Amino acid sequence: MKEIESGGGKGRDEEQDGMSVHSPCKAPPSSASSLPKEQSQVELELRLLEALEIYPPFKLQGIHRHFVLFGLMEFLRKSFDRPFSSDEVLQLLDRFYNLELLKPDDEDVELLNHEEDFCLPQSYFIKEES
Amino acid sequence: MGNSSKDDSASDGDTSSGDTPPSKSSLYSEGEKVLAYHGPRLYEAKVQKAELRKKEWRYFVHYLGWNKNWDEWVGVDRLMKHTEENVVKQQALDKKQGVDKNVKSGRSAQTKPKSSTDAKVEKEDLKNNVSKGKKRKSESGVEKDNVSLEKLVKIQIPSTLRKQLVDDWEFVTQQDKLVKLPRSPTVDDILTKYLEYRAKKDGMMTDSIGEILKGIRCYFDKALPVMLLYKKERKQYHEAVVDNVSPSTIYGAEHLLRLFVKLPELLAFVNIEEETLTRLQQKVLDFLKFLQKNQSTFFLSAYDGSKVSEGKGKGKDD
Repeated sequence: MKEIESGGGKGRDEEQDGMSVHSPCKAPPSSASSLPKEQSQVELELRLLEALEIYPPFKLQGIHRHFVLFGLMEFLRKSFDRPFSSDEVLQLLDRFYNLELLKPDDEDVELLNHEEDFCLPQSYFIKEES
Repeated sequence: MGNSSKDDSASDGDTSSGDTPPSKSSLYSEGEKVLAYHGPRLYEAKVQKAELRKKEWRYFVHYLGWNKNWDEWVGVDRLMKHTEENVVKQQALDKKQGVDKNVKSGRSAQTKPKSSTDAKVEKEDLKNNVSKGKKRKSESGVEKDNVSLEKLVKIQIPSTLRKQLVDDWEFVTQQDKLVKLPRSPTVDDILTKYLEYRAKKDGMMTDSIGEILKGIRCYFDKALPVMLLYKKERKQYHEAVVDNVSPSTIYGAEHLLRLFVKLPELLAFVNIEEETLTRLQQKVLDFLKFLQKNQSTFFLSAYDGSKVSEGKGKGKDD
């Protein structure tokens, strides 16, 4: 799984088969014409990669998936000053990662293996004058 | 508060110095239940390991009821015997903290009262741990080792709902009663109702709220058997949740509410940016207010007494 993390930084090891966690990058059509649209596409991807440093993609495979996605949506919303839907974020991610092939985080799995009884914290039993 | 250096010398004492290892035995033993300072509060903890290092006893503690990620090595000055007297002290600290926190400082202000030497030792310990093969999440590339209790997002549960939680505790643990299943409305129903309510109010679907609700549902389904049940409810769970059905289609508001007690712990696993966390906090609070507004219809006012006693009564011989 190591490479996934570093994958954020470099963009060039996706040359071969589609079975890698890095999905074959659909490169933006030729760089000859620099339409503003393409530029914004690049900008978008750059921001996304930045966001992935905070919200690593493998976290999308476990119990925390939706909150990670929420984090990504918010990150992009802040960066571009417009709302991003979860689908939009997932589509963007799809350019870089084959999410299904990512393994969930160990600590997330571990979290669910540790069964304990619910325990209402002591503070709830103290009367609060509100 | 660990005001702070109660001087570690207490542990290695002024007994025979020299290079013979002090025969002085550890103040706390492995497996012992103790009270441990973390930040300004005392927590119930268990000593997992005790090791003598540089003539000082160091203890690896697990905070009871907290995720293992909080486990850490501490010195003797962070621990207290688990005696009645000290428990009272713990509660006093809790109370005090509760009051202090009403000053809306959020999660920022608190720092660990740790002497710098202590911190240094701990860093060493961390290294030792890693070399001992303890899996730390540093592997994930995210610097998260300093997640501390203080960093937890605060979820302020409205007071009538807090009361609801206490009643819930009372019914189940003290009166041996259970929530009759399946519930109506279910957790799913409630989440859907909230989404409708929001959509009507905002005049549109907000995707981010949808995502949060999905997250809550997912947490609920996964967390219910692992951390949201009182012991007495386990049997019922195994009877009610069969064939991979989602707990969120069976359980209702009573158990959903417990999730919010645990939510800060769960969210600590996601490294959410400060600003985003605040937004999330607000949205969660709005949902809680919705629960509160519908408290009389969502929550049971009485639990079912028959089930537990039925199962239990037979086995009893007196």
